[in-house]
Amino acid sequence: MTTTWPYLDIHQSRTHEPTPYEFKLAATLEEVFTKDGHELPDVIRGLNARQVHAPDGAPWTEESFRAEMNRLGA
Amino acid sequence: MTTPTPRVGLAASADHIYATGLRNQWHPVVPSDFVAPGAMRKVTALGEQWLLFRRPDGALSMLADRCPHRGAPLSLGKHLGDRVACWYHGVEIETDGTVSSVPGLPGCNLEGKKLVTSLPVREIGGAILAYFGDEKHPDPAELTLPEPLTDPDVDAILCYAEWNGPWRFAVENLLDPMHGAFLHHESHTMYDGDTTAKFRIRETERGYFFEKTDQRGVNFDWVELCRTGVDWVDLTIPYPPSAGPGGPFGIVGMVCPVDENRTGVFFWRYRRVQGWQRDTWRFLYKTLIEERHWQVLEQDRVMLEAMPADADQRENLYQHDLGVVRLRRMYRAEAEAQASAS
Repeated sequence: MTTTWPYLDIHQSRTHEPTPYEFKLAATLEEVFTKDGHELPDVIRGLNARQVHAPDGAPWTEESFRAEMNRLGA
Repeated sequence: MTTPTPRVGLAASADHIYATGLRNQWHPVVPSDFVAPGAMRKVTALGEQWLLFRRPDGALSMLADRCPHRGAPLSLGKHLGDRVACWYHGVEIETDGTVSSVPGLPGCNLEGKKLVTSLPVREIGGAILAYFGDEKHPDPAELTLPEPLTDPDVDAILCYAEWNGPWRFAVENLLDPMHGAFLHHESHTMYDGDTTAKFRIRETERGYFFEKTDQRGVNFDWVELCRTGVDWVDLTIPYPPSAGPGGPFGIVGMVCPVDENRTGVFFWRYRRVQGWQRDTWRFLYKTLIEERHWQVLEQDRVMLEAMPADADQRENLYQHDLGVVRLRRMYRAEAEAQASAS
């Protein structure tokens, strides 16, 4: 932890630099929220329609999306 | 201009108190993770030097950074787990400020005496708060924490930054919502809404609202100043649909008067979200949103750091500045009262 004044750190909530997969998922989520809606079924449908899948390549389910967000957002 | 810094407990002028922060209340100091278990850290707050000391079990204490023997900084000393040893002559100080040992002269009459100021501390939402009492008010004032930081249905993420400017300018900036429509016009959250407005002050039991009378939920349209043992502000700003469910995000803001020309700012961005919505918000925040928020905060920093030191003495204020005027009067009156009582 730096002790130099001033402390000006753009990223204080990250534990790591996001991976390309995480950037892609986040950007797609923003697009889905903007165009498709805010309900969970909207999100799952929107992600799958854009072919942005889970790391294992499988289409998202509500269960897999909840689990992944819990992993990435905790 | 730099004035000599009286220690807490010694008589301070109203000007000095106004410049370095009100006494007899809690203030934020630094984020909790600035002091790891088993570590210590030198900090400046309210114009004075302090030592934050954390035991290996996590217990935190805050001591004046001054050995009671010859005045050497304890922060140059050695962490002994449950006490600190001054580097100069090895005098050992416990976490409550008691001299536990004078190795050079065992049995010395300093031993067993509580000679170092030790401030009450609390940790909330990832930040260290400390109570800065004067000699007549050593016992901590009652502290009611901001609800957004204690409500389990609200998720808050702290952003801390250090600005070169008086602490008052940072608080005044928060009591001036109209700057959002201009300074932050190019931001992702405050691009919308009228650039003209009328404001009013609405009293509450813990402070006051300063709010637009003709627009709400569009830009930075209102702010509540809350004085609950610690001074903080609450406000909300709409998120665009891209941020997903949960509605607007709120900010709990606090300020640490570091010294008369430096300020630590604490902004907790919070949202009323649970479950997958909470997780998704946090994921987007970490990955994309935090950086955008940072750019907005930088606009404030650039403006406030460029303000002349006498900015608040040569002004022509108008109706939008009622919230700032009230804030200044309140703080100035309190500084006068604290100076005359000491």
